[in-house]
Amino acid sequence: MLFQLTRRLLILLASLAVASVLVFGFMAVLPGDPAQVALGVNATPELLARTRHEFGLDRPLVVRYLDWIGGLLTGDFGRSYVTGERIGPSLVDRYGVTLWLVGAGMLVAVLIAVPAGVLAAVRHRRISGAVISGLSQLGVAVPGFLAGIVLVQVFAVSLGLVPSGGWTPPVVDPVEFLLGLILPALSLGLVQGAVLTRYVRSAVLDVLREDYIRTARAKGLTPFRALLRHGLRNAAVPVVTVLGLQLTTLLVGAVVVERVFVIPGLGSLLLDAVGNRDLLVVQDVVMVLVLTVLLVNFLVDVLYAVLNPRLRQVG
Amino acid sequence: MAGSGCSAGSTATASRGPDAISIGFTAEPANLDFTHTDGAAIPQALLYNVYQGLVRLDQHGKIQPLLAESWTLSQDRTVYDFHLRAGVRFSNGAPFTAEDVRFSVERVRTDWTISLKSAMDVVDHVEVVSPTRARVVLSRPSNNWLFAMAGRLGAMFSPTGVADLANTPVGTGPYQVVQHTRGDSIVLAANPGYWGPPPTYTTVVLKYFKDATALTNALLSNGIDVISAVTTPEQVPRLEHDTRFQVIQGTTTGEVVLAFNNARPPLHDVRVRQALTYAIDRRALLDVVWAGRGTLIGSMVPPTDPWYEDLSGAYPHDPDRARALLAEAGQTGLTLRLRVPNLPYAVSAAQVVKSDLGRVGVGVDIEPLDFPAVWLKQVFTDHDYDLSIIQHVENRDITTFGNPRYYWGYDNPEVARLLAEADQGSEAEQVEDMRRVARTLSDDAAADWLFLLPNVVAAKKRVTGLAVNQVGDSFDLTALGRAAG
Amino acid sequence: MSGVEDIPSGPVPGAGTRAGRRGANASLLVGGALVAAVVLLALVSFLWTPHDPTLVDAPNRLRGPSAAHWLGTDRFGRDVASQVMVGARTTLFVGVVAVGVAALVGTPLGVLAAMSSRRLGELVMRGNDLVLAFPALLLAIMFGAVFGADTLTAMLAIGIATAPSFARLARGGAVEVLGTEYVLAARVAGRRRLAIAVRHVLPNIAGLVIVQTSVSFGIAVLAEAALSFLGLGTRPPTPSWGRMLQESQELLTVSPRLALVPGLAIALAVLGFNLLGDGLRDRLDPRLEARG
Repeated sequence: MLFQLTRRLLILLASLAVASVLVFGFMAVLPGDPAQVALGVNATPELLARTRHEFGLDRPLVVRYLDWIGGLLTGDFGRSYVTGERIGPSLVDRYGVTLWLVGAGMLVAVLIAVPAGVLAAVRHRRISGAVISGLSQLGVAVPGFLAGIVLVQVFAVSLGLVPSGGWTPPVVDPVEFLLGLILPALSLGLVQGAVLTRYVRSAVLDVLREDYIRTARAKGLTPFRALLRHGLRNAAVPVVTVLGLQLTTLLVGAVVVERVFVIPGLGSLLLDAVGNRDLLVVQDVVMVLVLTVLLVNFLVDVLYAVLNPRLRQVG
Repeated sequence: MAGSGCSAGSTATASRGPDAISIGFTAEPANLDFTHTDGAAIPQALLYNVYQGLVRLDQHGKIQPLLAESWTLSQDRTVYDFHLRAGVRFSNGAPFTAEDVRFSVERVRTDWTISLKSAMDVVDHVEVVSPTRARVVLSRPSNNWLFAMAGRLGAMFSPTGVADLANTPVGTGPYQVVQHTRGDSIVLAANPGYWGPPPTYTTVVLKYFKDATALTNALLSNGIDVISAVTTPEQVPRLEHDTRFQVIQGTTTGEVVLAFNNARPPLHDVRVRQALTYAIDRRALLDVVWAGRGTLIGSMVPPTDPWYEDLSGAYPHDPDRARALLAEAGQTGLTLRLRVPNLPYAVSAAQVVKSDLGRVGVGVDIEPLDFPAVWLKQVFTDHDYDLSIIQHVENRDITTFGNPRYYWGYDNPEVARLLAEADQGSEAEQVEDMRRVARTLSDDAAADWLFLLPNVVAAKKRVTGLAVNQVGDSFDLTALGRAAG
Repeated sequence: MSGVEDIPSGPVPGAGTRAGRRGANASLLVGGALVAAVVLLALVSFLWTPHDPTLVDAPNRLRGPSAAHWLGTDRFGRDVASQVMVGARTTLFVGVVAVGVAALVGTPLGVLAAMSSRRLGELVMRGNDLVLAFPALLLAIMFGAVFGADTLTAMLAIGIATAPSFARLARGGAVEVLGTEYVLAARVAGRRRLAIAVRHVLPNIAGLVIVQTSVSFGIAVLAEAALSFLGLGTRPPTPSWGRMLQESQELLTVSPRLALVPGLAIALAVLGFNLLGDGLRDRLDPRLEARG
């Protein structure tokens, strides 16, 4: 187990190193000149050269890479070419916003999927089960941003119940914060909830077929009772791993939702930075996202090994 | 307690209390330093509100006194004597004197990096006559100089307040920046030491929305009080019919231009350019792209300039004439690259242009480019394009046609001469020369001026003092008021 | 967002019960019909559309459905029905490129990982995991920035990002096949590896790959919609359901039809591919067959 863990950890580190080279290499071939963007129209060649020098863009690629990666390791994300500001603080801020979004979206997804999935499984021979399955199929097929746009029109613009967008940090005004979180979380969570419902349903169906449930049912328990008493924990194992993977889906899915709801998260930072050729910001954001995904995958692997004793034996 | 808008949708009011107002914009400043960062967003937020100049531009394009109470111009039109307002202080407490005028004007040349700074090259030197009198001596007469002084170039800085321009602007205006949340908002608060009448709203929240629809939704759902410029024209009727709001429509200085690469074949041929101009139905284009709101102009002059003439009739929509001109120029089976910024209006207009040109046998490949980065590099700097569409927002940007190295690739010595003459001449001469420039550009079909963007402002009914026309660099907050009742 | 990223692609278990089986036939039928409809629309659009889908006709903009314009016109005065038809072409193109890249890159890599030395196999799968760390949308944004926004670039990005799910699937299937007696026999008989891969492994995992293809198709279609919404997808004026949806955003209250039509088209197409995948899975997955 310990050996497995160290091995996984080493793989994680190696992956991060390779990913950083890939990200940096990719940014290096981007067309568009950050110095030009910073200076705007009509910048003179001399000024461009000076600015490029200030940004350190005239140094060899290897030096730039080492400089960047060295900074990252010491917690220094560098300075934005466009704003001249330190990237670290705003990156942390934006990351926090996106995490709130993802967390809330996840919560919505789970709140939908667990009851719906269990119900669909327990009643899979009945109409109600089929209806839930059908709805989940449909939910998977709807573009998430469409859900977002429609939600805004109905609940914010027409009914005026919640804000149509924007972001209020929880420390500033907790009530406003929660209200503002509702629609983005719903548009993230509804679709993912539909996806998750299908997995919960099948996991529960699997469990229902196990002997101990059959025994329990033979003793006269309803399928639902039998499941509650014996099966839910077992069904949770595959669902938890799916949840882990959905976390990364939501992290990137937040890019689009942030656009719809004008939320200053990591996604909008990334899109703006791409448009501005704020290379360093792009590099940092992509790296943070990739790091998060790798970490989540790592944790899911570990969790899976812990939850599933059979896997512990496999070398 | 004012206005009907305050009651509805109590959950989402961004501005709390009658002394606060929140205004939605689409373009967000990257930082607060317009001496180093180009673009309209920073002066829009700060000029006249945080920074003030000696003079300002009113919404009809006229120059008015601001920090200078009055000024005189010498006979040879090269020496400006400014009489400064007394008792003015910067927000950091430093007094504003003629020394600051010299500091600010000279600083443009030494410290500013944006391209606009070249308008200050004409200044020979600045003399401090007394604390309230500053004399600016030009190396030659220039009407454009005083005009530029009404924009961001004329902003007055204090030597004690330029340490951190990107984050902490220090000006003489009625407001101070108290908070800047990137990607979200800038909060301005009334400057307690302001020399003039205190502004009606003591707190102003400038909120930024990357997405135009989200901006409109914010007003509809009571999240903001004013939309500085509505960019979802299809939704304007809905705002007009809503009893909570008022919609004001005027003109801007934003010409949406179909740029021709004049320097390169086949568009170096005036017949081809004219053919394309005849081929495009600009009225229909305006209907599609901006729901018919906006003005057809026909040259690079907005109605707020003194030399405005309606030239929109010069090239009536005439596909047959276009085909004939193309045949005359020997250009059949032409395919052009239309490289546009990936902004909604440009992408929409591009599709209409492609459809119109297709009808006269000209093929068009639309290439949306990342804006600003890729467009600036490839089209604007490297001139790698046949056609492009972009909004030119700068004031009096008709002067760019005098620069053969500009991305138009337009090289006409006569136009350059007229522009120089207009700059140096009397007011009447200036108007006459500029008219001739505009007509020449139209005759040459140096570009196709598709339309002038309208200035559509939507606001809660209680908000008064909103400018009808957008003329200068600033979104002026000082005139805003609150209706009684 | 939705499904841009691939959720673990293994069969959703439980579909193989007897009840699931009956449902599966229905899935196959409905899914097949929806997919066939999309293909048909696309094919017909090559020969005929009611109007030129890109022709701007300002006087007739924002008209409701009529005999001349079955689904009305958009803000450019373009015929919506014609756009939907040609848009089906874009949708299929998107799916074919993205899924084609994913399957053609992923499947051989997975088989290679299963059949080669332990060390090489390990390396391939590690590379696989690394690519998985670049979510599809992220990769598409990066590709769009470098190579310009375009359907093809976006789809290559989606293809590369979904290739690992094919590789995993193929590897799992191949390992299973390699353990069977007839493959062992072939090995003992001295058959070359390539021959074994072609003769035994590929045919046996084909079913799995086909199922995954169908599901990935749906993912790719949704991805194109999301990218078009961000302005990184199909270039104008090529009609695409995703861009139609994006262009209709402002008109949602004025003319909801303009959002409804492409939204429904996307949802039905994705539903079709997903159902088809579910149905095929039951037919083709030998493991589920055994479980019955």
